[in-house]
Amino acid sequence: MNPLLELLEVSRRFGSRTVVDAVSLELNPGRIACLLGPSGCGKSTLLRMIAGLDHPDEGEIRIGGQLVASAKGALPPEARGVGLVFQDNALFPHLNVEDNVGFGLTGLSRADRRRQVLSLLDQFHITQLASEWPHSLSGGEQQRVAIARALARAPSILLLDEPFSGLDGVLKETVRNALLEDLRRIGATVLVVTHDPEEAMAIADDLFLMSEGRILQTGGPEVLYRRPVSLVAARLLGEMVVIPGQAVAGHVRTAVGDLSAPGVSDGPVRVGIRPESLQPAAEGADVRVLATRFAGDGHRLILDLGGVEATVRWRAAPPAHGQTVTLKLDSASAVVFSDAGDTNLSERARAG
Amino acid sequence: MIGVLAACAAAVVLLPLSGVLAAAFGEGAARIPLSDVLRYAATTAILALGVGAFTAVAGAVAAWLVVMHRFPGRSVFSWALALPLAMPAFAVAYGYADLLDVAGPLRSAIRDLTGQDLPFEIRSPGGAVFVLSAAFYPYVFLAMRAAFLNLPGSALDAARMLGLGSAAAFFKVALPLTRPALGAGVALAVMETLADYGAVYFLSVQTLTTGVVRAWSVYGSTVSAARFALPLLAAAAVLLWIERAGRRGRIHETGKTRWRSPEPVPLDRGPGLAAAAFCLFLLCAGLLVPAGWLLAHLGAQSPDWSRLAIAARNSLGLAIAGALVTVGLATLLALGSERRPRLVRLASLGYATPGAVMAIGLLAPAGVIWSLFPGSGTALALVLLILAYAARLMASALEPIDAGLTRIRPSLPQAARTLGRSEVASALSIRLPLAGGSLLTAGLIVLVDILKELPATLILRPFNFDTLAVIANNYALDERLGQAGAPSLMILFLSLPAVIWLTGRIASAAPPAGRERLS
Repeated sequence: MNPLLELLEVSRRFGSRTVVDAVSLELNPGRIACLLGPSGCGKSTLLRMIAGLDHPDEGEIRIGGQLVASAKGALPPEARGVGLVFQDNALFPHLNVEDNVGFGLTGLSRADRRRQVLSLLDQFHITQLASEWPHSLSGGEQQRVAIARALARAPSILLLDEPFSGLDGVLKETVRNALLEDLRRIGATVLVVTHDPEEAMAIADDLFLMSEGRILQTGGPEVLYRRPVSLVAARLLGEMVVIPGQAVAGHVRTAVGDLSAPGVSDGPVRVGIRPESLQPAAEGADVRVLATRFAGDGHRLILDLGGVEATVRWRAAPPAHGQTVTLKLDSASAVVFSDAGDTNLSERARAG
Repeated sequence: MIGVLAACAAAVVLLPLSGVLAAAFGEGAARIPLSDVLRYAATTAILALGVGAFTAVAGAVAAWLVVMHRFPGRSVFSWALALPLAMPAFAVAYGYADLLDVAGPLRSAIRDLTGQDLPFEIRSPGGAVFVLSAAFYPYVFLAMRAAFLNLPGSALDAARMLGLGSAAAFFKVALPLTRPALGAGVALAVMETLADYGAVYFLSVQTLTTGVVRAWSVYGSTVSAARFALPLLAAAAVLLWIERAGRRGRIHETGKTRWRSPEPVPLDRGPGLAAAAFCLFLLCAGLLVPAGWLLAHLGAQSPDWSRLAIAARNSLGLAIAGALVTVGLATLLALGSERRPRLVRLASLGYATPGAVMAIGLLAPAGVIWSLFPGSGTALALVLLILAYAARLMASALEPIDAGLTRIRPSLPQAARTLGRSEVASALSIRLPLAGGSLLTAGLIVLVDILKELPATLILRPFNFDTLAVIANNYALDERLGQAGAPSLMILFLSLPAVIWLTGRIASAAPPAGRERLS
């Protein structure tokens, strides 16, 4: 299958600062992909370059095989057939919902236009909002209108910039799930930019991890969560406790027990553990509790792991501080990194 | 595309400015000695300093009183104090010149009563400072009222919690925070002072602007007129820089903190009445006394109604055409400002440039066209006049339009682009409709200014084409003040509705509210 969207070594500089640094990625039709990174990592700039609102200094962008941007020149946004949903939804305040959604439908008779708008509104279950004004809509409704508007021109790709950041808590998840269901049903190809790892893992078929202008890792959410290429990549997807270890003859020794690490050469390493992988056990390593905090769904224990303070989630009854608890390390879920944290040694060992 | 159009709009301003420069350094008899130019410049400087100082104090204090305090009449004063903007400065001068004339009723009465004459001569630089301050303080008042309304209420609350009284809070918190607005407001008042012709000429005060008009009308020398204009251009550039610096400060002020306007403090009876008296004095000085005096003397001679009707039609026609052209050009400039910010800065020089100077600058290119199309007299003169208005008022239209456009979130026109509209189409379908109110504001500002405009009209108008301002000026110069009153008051009543609408508009233009309306 040919990728629908292809970026080849795309770079963008503002003055002396390289905001997007030689990014390459591919997106296949019908997939929902997430570009995940902290704010300021260049992900929004990347999205704007795909949409045509910004232009790369180097590299090429192809959509459906057609070159749309390179250092030599770029197609204007209106000629790209890409839909973009802005972070603030960017609904036109002087047009009602129907006219907002129909804005991009030019060259149609009034009746055809209306028919198409109503069918779009119907797909997103907002037909009743047709004559409403943007300011009277809730955040979730505004977003549906913005997405319906972006899809009206049947774009080959739908780009969403931090689509759920304006919604809070419970609403966010409901809106997100419903929207994702609708987008999958119509088979849209979607690229979502977000800084929220939970959101990215919940919605993405493909995940692109981005940091400081570069793509760190690409793959399915689960693979990326369990086998991060580096500590930075690991931390983009969630908390990770890092403790020092010593590799000796295919094993790594840590304050919470030994791990088997075949193929890792001897010397100091760092072991990354997801907090949920440290659980109380009948036998294992004894560690001292420095403090406990109540956190609603359980407790957070601050533990002394061989001189490193680490916070773990604790579902059992909390121990008092100063006490010791016995922990068992799930060695399958621990990741051995090089001492600098920039390479996943267990991954390399497995691959090699 | 938009960049090119914006460049054309900027050319309208830059053409007369370069015309002045070319004329000043051109060949031609400069029959006016340098000492005269220097004397005129010195008088102009005195007027500028005097009006600057008086309007700064009067405007800032009045704004502080109406925004921060409750006292009798506050709700009326908060908009009425801006009304003198509808009164042409020359009309203020006519009123006071007659009222305070040595042979006038007021001075005669005082002489009879006390046996002494008032130690004050209205036809003097001092008198001109008084008249122009009374006419132009609203520029400072409006700038400062907006600035005080936009002060973070929390800063003033904090000052109060720290034990500062009203006066101390004014000097230690409010004034430092609004100094850029004060600079901008005073700069506007001084620009108008530099540009004024009708009032100072009537008061027999010789300034550079009267020099420009006289050099042209009496000696017929464009070169001499342009040389009088050069120091004015330099002063204009300085004032513009001050005004721009003020605007930079304003952007800084309106941070991201939640905006809440300061809560006014009630004044006790004594101070409250004093505050009301101060505001009433300003309103009387700028509007009620001169307009009342002119109105009272209307009956003395029956005005030539048919001539006035034609002049009113001419004035309104010019003002409307001028407003449309100016707003159109300023809109192009504002839309192109992202691409070419330097153009906009250059075009703003036009506002600081007196109308007489603009007119002189247009005479040279006009001469070329006249010689090419000899029959085009009246039509060409009108076109040039409208261009002169546009050049002079471009910046004052540009400011509200630019503010209206920047209030639009950048994602809106971008969304239009991703929905298939070109840059021009997205400007037409999104940016202009959303900035519609600002376009109206800009149009009314220009309209009022053109109704009051005198020197450029005097220089460029076609033969026998009178506006209300021109008729008023002619009567006044013939010492027929009773008859000068009618056209002056007609200007006032034509401008008044626009000024009232504008005042309300500026009051409600608190930045975050505007933003929320759009979201």
